[in-house]
Amino acid sequence: MALDPIRLQDEKPPRPAAPGKKWLRVTKAVNGIDTEVWEEVADDTGGPQWGARESMRLVSREVPRVDGPDKVTGRATFSHDVRLPGMVYARVLRSRVPAAKVKLDLEPARKLPGVLAVVELGEGEVRWLGRPIAAVAATTPELAEDGVRAIVVSYEEQGFAVTPEKAAAENAPKVNSRGNVRVLSKNTDTSEIDAALAQAPVRVKGTWKIPVQHHASLESHGVVVDYRGGDEATVYASTQGTFTIPGDAAGRLGLKPNQVTAVVEHMGGGFGSKFGMGIEGEAACLLAKELKRPVHLMLDRSSEFHAAGNRSGGEHEIEAGVGKDGRILAFKARVTRHGGVGQGSGHPLPYIYARDNAVFVEDRCIHTNMDSSRAMRGPGHPQASFSMEGVMDECAYAVGMDLLEFRRINLPEGKRELYMRQLERCAELIGWKAHPHKSAPDRSDAEVKVGIGFAIARWGGGGNGQCKVEVRIAQDGSVEVLSGTQDLGTGTRTYCATIVAEELGLELEAVRARIGRSTFGSANASGGSTTAPSLAPSVKHAAHNARVALFEKVAPLLGATASELEVRPGEIRVAASPSKRIAWKDACAALGPNGLSAQGEWQAHLAGNDIGGAQAAKVSVDTLTGEVKVLEMVAVQDCGLVLNLMAAKSQLQGGMVQALSYGLFEERVVDPDLGLFLNANFEDYKIAGAADIPAMKAVFEDDPRGVIGMSEAAIIPGHSAIANAIHNACGVRLREMPMTADKILMGLAALKKG
Amino acid sequence: MSDATSPHDAASREPSLSRRAFFKGAGVVAAGGLVGEAVQAAARSASLEPVRLEGTVELELDINGARQKVAVEPRTTLLNTLRNHCTPPLTGAKLVCDRGSCGACTVHLDGKPVYSCMTLAVDAVGRKVTTIEGLAPAGELTELQSAFCAHDGSMCGFCTPGFVMSISACLERNPAASLDEIQRSCSGNLCRCGTYPQVFEAALAAGRKLRAKGGK
Repeated sequence: MALDPIRLQDEKPPRPAAPGKKWLRVTKAVNGIDTEVWEEVADDTGGPQWGARESMRLVSREVPRVDGPDKVTGRATFSHDVRLPGMVYARVLRSRVPAAKVKLDLEPARKLPGVLAVVELGEGEVRWLGRPIAAVAATTPELAEDGVRAIVVSYEEQGFAVTPEKAAAENAPKVNSRGNVRVLSKNTDTSEIDAALAQAPVRVKGTWKIPVQHHASLESHGVVVDYRGGDEATVYASTQGTFTIPGDAAGRLGLKPNQVTAVVEHMGGGFGSKFGMGIEGEAACLLAKELKRPVHLMLDRSSEFHAAGNRSGGEHEIEAGVGKDGRILAFKARVTRHGGVGQGSGHPLPYIYARDNAVFVEDRCIHTNMDSSRAMRGPGHPQASFSMEGVMDECAYAVGMDLLEFRRINLPEGKRELYMRQLERCAELIGWKAHPHKSAPDRSDAEVKVGIGFAIARWGGGGNGQCKVEVRIAQDGSVEVLSGTQDLGTGTRTYCATIVAEELGLELEAVRARIGRSTFGSANASGGSTTAPSLAPSVKHAAHNARVALFEKVAPLLGATASELEVRPGEIRVAASPSKRIAWKDACAALGPNGLSAQGEWQAHLAGNDIGGAQAAKVSVDTLTGEVKVLEMVAVQDCGLVLNLMAAKSQLQGGMVQALSYGLFEERVVDPDLGLFLNANFEDYKIAGAADIPAMKAVFEDDPRGVIGMSEAAIIPGHSAIANAIHNACGVRLREMPMTADKILMGLAALKKG
Repeated sequence: MSDATSPHDAASREPSLSRRAFFKGAGVVAAGGLVGEAVQAAARSASLEPVRLEGTVELELDINGARQKVAVEPRTTLLNTLRNHCTPPLTGAKLVCDRGSCGACTVHLDGKPVYSCMTLAVDAVGRKVTTIEGLAPAGELTELQSAFCAHDGSMCGFCTPGFVMSISACLERNPAASLDEIQRSCSGNLCRCGTYPQVFEAALAAGRKLRAKGGK
């Protein structure tokens, strides 16, 4: 019954698998949104195996990241830090009007000292606030900024709508030719559900409001284009996809993709907005092409807020009818997305919960003259979580049922066991049993009240077959693993090395992981938690193939066949007679001057897919000031084989911090009449800081499956758990983020009034 | 571009000059004698209108224990001087907000943490600048840097130099700093990956090590 524009709910493959094949749920970008689809792949259950976890030395242990020393000493070179001989700095000029025809006089900028080149961007028409319309290159960034200020812009202003309210109004200025309000899917027949709602003994109805959030990566979007004329260029990019760069850059430089190398040595934050070069990358290429000098163009913070994407906001109108037994008898939802000139991301409701009696009435977006939303960590899910977990709690309190029991009743059959196990573990970790007021808020006269809330997540996190990995063993015994992939701070570089070291019986230090270069083997872009489940199996395969190839070389030296050999730390030996052994260095010496090279590809059986995850939050609410303090957050997560317990814990806790920040602080504020973005900086757009961090606990479940990406799941439920905890503390139900003190105080005042 | 005015006589001056103030006559008066005739002219005009100071000044800075000569425009921040004008470039301090709200550019000025994006290079003359690159001798790590590695204090790592500089100064003052004091010491730093819990663990662990070694 539920309409589903993104094929997320196709629970079964479209047809039986062909002989020798099997179906896998993989995560792919469909219309720019990470979506799970079924893919038929080779049923490859032979080949390399992860093996018994208790016997692992490095994989699935707590391994400090290999680039830690570079990061703590400032040696780690981000694109932002690339300095080249003759390099110039560029800045962009943004449109200060949301919708206009623009005419530029670039000459005043060109006349300034130090300004070397000025280019116009776009085609004279602006449809969203802050669109870059020109770029200036100069010998220093300060002089480039002078150049930007000197450009004279004539705006032929057009009507605009920068808020959904204005855009949806009658006679609103047209944002684009497709209409300001665009219906993506609609279910016109709601009669059955309406009838059921009318008869339900308990009903909850409301509108949940979700602000636009910004990725706020600390390294802004941008590139350094090293082009000095001739037929080769190198582009250093702050990107989530090394291989998303060369094609675009080549087009702008007038080169072929095979003449452009992309480099992503380190990158300073990737949460979904950094795919491809963007307008800023195109500008840098145009300037470099003109100057035949390296151009450094990283967006400044204000441009980053205006023109580098966001998580779409929206409104969820929901009505639920519940039986006295706690079963949701009828459910109806309408989702509106606020994605600027873009479509925004959404997830069908009732999200994870059972939808036997549900109808998803409408999914629509309202366009505004603001920058397009982009994918952001778990696109669509944190929004869906916020409204649905609120609905679940409201219903549970309304029928007077325990919060977890109510969820148990309304979880879909196949997921009930997983989520209840995780929720109960969260409850135990956060002290739910001893909590004094479970089924009603604290009605005492206490000034500061404490509450607990829960929420759950789901994600795919499966891999795909885009990675090609090489493992090289040199004659001196040193080992390299090479992949073009990028490390967003998730620890990719580190697990590349640990997997190879584990397979070859080496210490971690003996293996060098070289990544982030498009001349190495291809790799998927990092979106939808697909990197680890795609790359790790490919690395394992390459390491396995390298070991087998080395065994072939060494076997004659040991008077055995390759299949009789095994690696032990630092040596290769005959498994059945361990005294027949050869040290690693001696074995490699037999390889000759060319050493050995082995390739690896994706091994579907080494990856898994489809995860849950539960989180709980404990908050205090100061009823005098409205201040919310998150005291504690806990997470219980399944994610198959954890590649590095230390990095995974950091990532899970990092997701919880981002969710806390989303729930309590973050919101883009625009002036509807003046068409201004009012908080495009880190003073007025607040993100969580050191003083906001609660005690945290992140637990990974033992999960026998292969590698599954977990980053998205980490960010999905935290803010919802906080919203529920606020209600449990003081009785204020906030259906709008960010959950700031003013809203709490208004809520408390309303409660007092009754 | 060679308005070479020596600033060496300004060594004892207080760092009182913001970028914004620098463009205002009032601010420029305070800088009298530092950047020469253009400034004096601006001061005489006593106008609050922005004044554009063309040309560069030559400065000698004391960075990580070595003398470094740079030629920069007077308006150039210490951050941009370190990153864009030093040899070799010192890019450990990061430019993120460029207005003192994120701490990614933190360096030490005479041992105290400052936002180098809010400090003009001319204000650093005669003072000891320490950047993340100079915190430990080459090839070594301080206890705090080691602890950041051991406790996973960085994810993407872009904010890490700023956090290390802020907390280093805190532990230098008090190796027995409590969790609360450590949180305060880096409350001017932002991390988007959300590494805070591990950063705190690293800082507490480093404090313990320093105390065991008899640090003050």
